[in-house]
Amino acid sequence: MIAYIIRRLLIAIPVLFGISLIAFFMVRLVPGDTVTAMLGNSYTPEQAEALRAQYGLDEPIITQYILWLTNVLQGDFGFSHFTNTPVLEAILLRLPVTIELALLSVVIAVILAIPLGTIAALKRNSKFDYGASLFGMLGISIPNFWLGTLMILFFSLWAGWFPSGGFVGLYESVWGNLQSMILPAIALGTAVGAVAMRMTRSSMLEVTNQDYIKMARAKGVSSRRLITKHALKNALVPVVTVLGIQTGYLLGGSVVVEQIFGLPGVGQLALQAITNRDYALLQGTILFIASAFVIVNLIVDIIYGFLNPQIRY
Amino acid sequence: MKKWFGLLVLLVIVLAGCTNPENAEQDSESEGDTGSETAAEGGTLTIADLSEAESLDPHVVTDAASMRYIENMYNTLFRYVPGEYGEIEGDLVADYELSDDETTYTMTLHEGVTFHNGDALTSEDVKYSIERIIEKGVRANQFSEVESIETPSETEVVITLSEPVAPFLTFLAYPMNTVVNQTIVEENGGELDNADAGSGPFKLDSWTKDQEMVLVKNEDYFKEGKPHLNEVVWRSIPDATARSTAIRNGELDILLQAQPQDVDLLDQAEGVNVESVPGTYWEYMGMNVEAEPLQDEKVRQAIAWALDRGAINEVVKFGEASPLLSGNIPQNHWAHLEEDIYPEPDPEKAQQLLEEAGYGDGLELSMKVSTNQSQIDAAQVIKQQLEEVGIMLDVVSQEDSVFFEALGSGDFETTVVGWVGFVDPDEFLYNIFHTEGMYNQQNYSNEEVDQLLEQGRKEMDQEKRAEIYAEAQKLIAEDAPMAFLYANPQISGVRDRVQDFVVDPTVTTISLEDTKVE
Amino acid sequence: MNEIWYQFKKNKIALFGLGMTVMFIIFAILAPLIAPYDPYEMSTSDSLAGPSLAHLMGTDQFGRDILSRIIYGTRISLQVGIISVGISLVLGTLIGLVAAYYGRWVDMVLSRFTDVLFSFPDILLALVIMAILGPSLTNLMIAIGIVYTPIFARIARGAVLSIKSSLYIDAAKSMGVSNRKIMWKHILPNSMAPLIVQVTLSFAFAILAEAALSFLGLGVSPDTPSWGIMLSEGKNWMETAWWIAVFPGIAITLAVFSFNVMGDGLRDALDPKLKNESS
Repeated sequence: MIAYIIRRLLIAIPVLFGISLIAFFMVRLVPGDTVTAMLGNSYTPEQAEALRAQYGLDEPIITQYILWLTNVLQGDFGFSHFTNTPVLEAILLRLPVTIELALLSVVIAVILAIPLGTIAALKRNSKFDYGASLFGMLGISIPNFWLGTLMILFFSLWAGWFPSGGFVGLYESVWGNLQSMILPAIALGTAVGAVAMRMTRSSMLEVTNQDYIKMARAKGVSSRRLITKHALKNALVPVVTVLGIQTGYLLGGSVVVEQIFGLPGVGQLALQAITNRDYALLQGTILFIASAFVIVNLIVDIIYGFLNPQIRY
Repeated sequence: MKKWFGLLVLLVIVLAGCTNPENAEQDSESEGDTGSETAAEGGTLTIADLSEAESLDPHVVTDAASMRYIENMYNTLFRYVPGEYGEIEGDLVADYELSDDETTYTMTLHEGVTFHNGDALTSEDVKYSIERIIEKGVRANQFSEVESIETPSETEVVITLSEPVAPFLTFLAYPMNTVVNQTIVEENGGELDNADAGSGPFKLDSWTKDQEMVLVKNEDYFKEGKPHLNEVVWRSIPDATARSTAIRNGELDILLQAQPQDVDLLDQAEGVNVESVPGTYWEYMGMNVEAEPLQDEKVRQAIAWALDRGAINEVVKFGEASPLLSGNIPQNHWAHLEEDIYPEPDPEKAQQLLEEAGYGDGLELSMKVSTNQSQIDAAQVIKQQLEEVGIMLDVVSQEDSVFFEALGSGDFETTVVGWVGFVDPDEFLYNIFHTEGMYNQQNYSNEEVDQLLEQGRKEMDQEKRAEIYAEAQKLIAEDAPMAFLYANPQISGVRDRVQDFVVDPTVTTISLEDTKVE
Repeated sequence: MNEIWYQFKKNKIALFGLGMTVMFIIFAILAPLIAPYDPYEMSTSDSLAGPSLAHLMGTDQFGRDILSRIIYGTRISLQVGIISVGISLVLGTLIGLVAAYYGRWVDMVLSRFTDVLFSFPDILLALVIMAILGPSLTNLMIAIGIVYTPIFARIARGAVLSIKSSLYIDAAKSMGVSNRKIMWKHILPNSMAPLIVQVTLSFAFAILAEAALSFLGLGVSPDTPSWGIMLSEGKNWMETAWWIAVFPGIAITLAVFSFNVMGDGLRDALDPKLKNESS
């Protein structure tokens, strides 16, 4: 087991290094920079040059990369001119929103996926099964930003149940916070739930076809007990993996959904970094988001290794 | 190059982003009883803007949102008279004298003004602040004619200029040319990004980025009996739907910069008044005079004749804006040019001009716009209108930073964009149309215009200046480095409980010190 | 082939997807004949008209006919699908083939490279690439193509690895057939099934990605009748004119749904063993 974990870690390190390379150089390929965004219509080449020198943007790029990486390894992601704070601070400020959104979405996904997937598998080829499949397919196909817009139309504008955007901090009002989070969480959770439901269904089908379940059934173990105790437990292993990977993505923040609902999360921050050409902030957020994904995956892999000892290699 | 003037320019991007309409079949959730109470001292006012402040340092910021977040924490030497466009009055300055050669201002400050930390505000702070503005660079050019600042006593400031500067007091009244507290600046390492170094009617209480900024009453404000409010809460709501919903259901008291499309919806909402004044935000179709086909003034004039400004206004601004048929200085300004240069669209004349220029068979041009939705919309309508006279326009929308770099470095053929916040005619014209102007993005050059603009800058008599600028605007409109489109109104949604808030053409909110709530 | 069709035919939903896809293709090709109006034509007097007999899906702010714009929009969506999926297919397969065939450090480097690309959320990566290339339809297709390359690389690599060790490849090698020829003639055709499935599914992703990028205002030219742009404009009009955003949304969902169910059906038909892999 330890060897397996070490092996996974060894794979992760070059990936993280690669991410740092891409995050840095890809961002530097982007034309326009912080300086031009700051000056707006009052841009003149002279003013831009002066500001660039002030921010060290006139050094050779390799020097800048090495300096950047050294600083990042020491926890210094640079200074964001757009937010006027250190990059790390800007990210950490937004992170709770994104984490909350990710967790809520996953909870919604699980609530949808596991019962629906299990029942669909047990009642294979029934109307319920077809309905669930259709729902699963639609859930994957509906653009989350359109779903979000529709929900704003129905639930905020027409019904008036939720605010149509804007964010309320958890410490300001728990209820207000939940109100501002629930629609975006549904918009994101639907697709995750749909993927997880499909996975639950097929995984359940596979497990229930296996010999030991058939054997247990033949021995007269009750159906319900069989499902909860034996089948579901085994069937959920791949579902957990899928949810883990999806959580990894969600932790990166959903650019579009955060934008629609005006949630100050990491995804929105990344978008602001792009539109304002804030190099340091964009490099920082990209590095952060991609690394979060790698690390969550690493954890999922390790948990998977524990859950399913056969696949340890 | 005379880098004198400048940036009263809060860029128009800020107004941008979302031009969004929402008219509703929805009932507004009104607050029930209104009107029976009368305005009193105290209370909290919530006010929303389109975007979040980037920084709280008055001498550094260039975006409109930051300015409004900041201006009520500070005082300036002079200030705009709220609601009286173009008028200036003393703020910190109680009285002033201008020498006969029109270069030396002797100003007397109010007695007993203190900063929020209790320090006295003296002439030394004024000197320090002007020097800091010059050092920070962003608005240094407004003070480039300043030769010396002397402080004969704690309440006396003498500013000497190298030559007369007609709009100098207008510059001093610019809400970001504030007097700051040197001690606070130094305590914060020279930056005021998150600090309050002011003496204004309200003090910074807290600022949570992307959520809200809370200002509280300055109990020791030097203007007796002001301000009236206990607390002002600023929120930024970039999403148009969310914004108008928020004021309709009473989460907001004032919604700044409502979009033209919002007007109907807000008008119908109970308890919300729409207040609209002609604004200073003017938009234009810019034409790069150095780009090949546009070198020929006939091509530019053809475009200016081909545009149906009224139709663009109808579709994009829902008829709320005022088409600019002559110069770029709007109707509510004393320097507005009365004579219409392009009274009606004339496609035939446009085609004839194109033929004379050798483009009878049509031509292709590209147009760059930012992500400002109403400018994107205007570009689409312009594209259709120009197609009718044989000009094919290829429209690209670029992210703001890329767009403005292209604009500033002359890397464009045509564009739709705008300027906002000008007060003096010099600001409307000099930097934009003078050959040496800092923001002469169109690369326009006309010696006669240059001379007029230089003359207007030194002339102190308003009537003579009006004549000079009328002449200059006429020449510019005829040369058509820009086809002026329209001047936008400044529209705000204000709930019933708010009294004495003035919607100002320049979008300033300094009238908040007089505002009361029921 | 017949057997695949026989299997596919049994799946009713997949068949529906195929039908819809064919319809979209017909719309795209015959757009000028089918669309009732010119999708660019503005009419101030018809601004923001609701659905009616004259305009079945209403009009937008400029008085342009929504239905006609949606019909023309199939062209953009299919074009984006074909070209961007083409880019990912070619690039990805090449990377996967080379990695699997040469193994050792080549595999190591290429696999880590795909892992790295995989770690970036798709929309964010596409946004950054778009920021580098600048906004245009071509660049949009390139960006989406690059973003979905790693999936193809992984699938191709996996498929090749499973075939590579089989006996007939060994036989070919021992007969002195060149590397390139082995890859091209033997390995690639035998890795086709999972790639074909992925192509269909990626079409769905590509259509979604185009819509998302255009929605954020970083896609194609603003007057292009692209579903994403229409949706993004319509979002501003939700309260007054819901039809502007609702109909393009339905079009996107339907198109994505069709490709997804078709891909699913194809996967089942081509190889029942693949059934449990997540898309």
